Amino acid sequence: MSEQQVLQLFDYVQKRYLWQFFSRSWDREENINGIVAAAADMLNGKHNHKHAPMDRLFYADAKEMVKDFRENFPWIDELEPTRIDEVMDSLKAMLIDHTITKSLNHELNHSLY
Amino acid sequence: MPMVLLECDKAIPEREKHIYLKVEGEDSRDYLPISNASTIPGTLSERGCAFCGAKLVIGGVLKDTIQMIHGPIGCAYDTWHTKRYPTDNGHFNMKYVWSTDMKESHIVFGGEKRLEKSINEAFDEMPDIKRMFVYTTCPTALIGDDIKAVAKKVMEERPDVDIFCCECPGFAGVSQSKGHHVLNIGWINEKVGTLEPTITSDYTMNFIGDFNIQGDTQLLQTYWDRLGIQVIAHFTGNGTYDDLRCMHRAQLNVVNCARSSGYIANELKKQYGIPRLDIDSWGFSYMAEGIRKICAFFGIEERGEKLIEEEYAKWKGKLDWYKERLQGKKMAIWTGGPRLWHWTKSVEDDLGIQVVAMSSKFGHQEDFEKVIARGQNGTYYIDDGNELEFFEIIDLVKPDVIFTGPRVGELVKKLHIPYVNGHGYHNGPYMGFEGFVNLARDTYNAVHNPLLKLAATDIRGGEQPVRFLEAAE
Repeated sequence: MSEQQVLQLFDYVQKRYLWQFFSRSWDREENINGIVAAAADMLNGKHNHKHAPMDRLFYADAKEMVKDFRENFPWIDELEPTRIDEVMDSLKAMLIDHTITKSLNHELNHSLY
Repeated sequence: MPMVLLECDKAIPEREKHIYLKVEGEDSRDYLPISNASTIPGTLSERGCAFCGAKLVIGGVLKDTIQMIHGPIGCAYDTWHTKRYPTDNGHFNMKYVWSTDMKESHIVFGGEKRLEKSINEAFDEMPDIKRMFVYTTCPTALIGDDIKAVAKKVMEERPDVDIFCCECPGFAGVSQSKGHHVLNIGWINEKVGTLEPTITSDYTMNFIGDFNIQGDTQLLQTYWDRLGIQVIAHFTGNGTYDDLRCMHRAQLNVVNCARSSGYIANELKKQYGIPRLDIDSWGFSYMAEGIRKICAFFGIEERGEKLIEEEYAKWKGKLDWYKERLQGKKMAIWTGGPRLWHWTKSVEDDLGIQVVAMSSKFGHQEDFEKVIARGQNGTYYIDDGNELEFFEIIDLVKPDVIFTGPRVGELVKKLHIPYVNGHGYHNGPYMGFEGFVNLARDTYNAVHNPLLKLAATDIRGGEQPVRFLEAAE
């Protein structure tokens, strides 16, 4: 896995998707974990059989992201499954670091909406 | 470099924390403008008040609801007719305005009796209307009028009416944003779940944070109809009071304006387990993505692809005609908050326009995180910008067109820079595929209209025409 590959995906996600910027840190973490995991499954050819509402939401967001990744970064389909997991784990870590851990947003941890 | 102290702000250096210039290699972990904070004394804010955020932005949009404003007459007039959100029932919300018209004697002796009388008068005058929002304003909040007690008394006497009270006086927060918050939280806690909808489709959603500006909601509704998706409640474009009481029965909350309405989507998720899907409804690429996500959630992807294909066939050629002629033009966006991050990439990707400065009246840091992630390097990001700052930023970035409201728009027209109404639109709707072609057309007409330049020419005589601006210097 190259750091450059993760950065390409990260830059694309930052510019494109709103789910990483939800109101509170727990919402952001839930979205990032759910959507990146669903995307990793899709890239590895695993089918989503989950029907809970939040799983269907993650599926919908992940499906668009995977389509975009494949269009813009064709190298992703050349990766071995273990490498895909590594890349997606690194992407997830980078998203959490930027949008939660090191975010300067003072409202992220308010207990109420 | 990043945070910027403009020349005009030397006397109020606190403003430096509100203005950011993005440069290569930086992101919002390094610098994030302070926002949703009190306006700094000495600056001339363009903000509205908290009451305005509740009434003008959200409540006043409803098509079947009396908007009773408990306060002086000006609070009613100044939040009426300044936004164009039509309805499919003859624009009831835009035809009428209601106020208790509080005077000095009512402030001294209390206004509850006057409020009760006004509520009854309004229902008597409009016997077909059975729903009402009542708002406090600064003076009636300060004297402690108990509007909920009055509403309860009226509802007991008139069992066929339902009244929602929004206690959000103008001073309750730093900007309109507080009014959004109070109305969202009040509504979910008091009214959602008090009525059951009739379900007509296997696929149901709420569409949240779209206010039918010049028909946005009605245009998007044609898409949902074609997809077979039932919208249980529009929060609040072309919406009804009772539909909003049924929001708890939707399978999905689709959010456009996360700033004004994200609160209720968050609470619907927390209290009822309904997922929140945020989309951008402006721009071809974004709108297609939003439709694909909604359809993927419901498992009706083929319907979505068919709709997108039909809409692209109808509108993409027109969009490209404008794109060719707008390529490289520079735009500033000075609106409320979310339109900064909704528009910056969509005008860049779909129209080839470069956004060089953006100012938000009431955005929070969440909005700045989004817009700094999406916006370009070399672009200014401003919280709660003031008039002098706008002049200075214009000199720095020289925009070809400014998307803003009529107040600032009239200002920049005097500099002979075209503006397009970024709040109420020039000739909308602007959402959806057709809507974005409308936005492109209005931008094209603004940028290429020769009148503004001609208007700067002094034709009163003399051998050489003198530019007014030059003459004034």
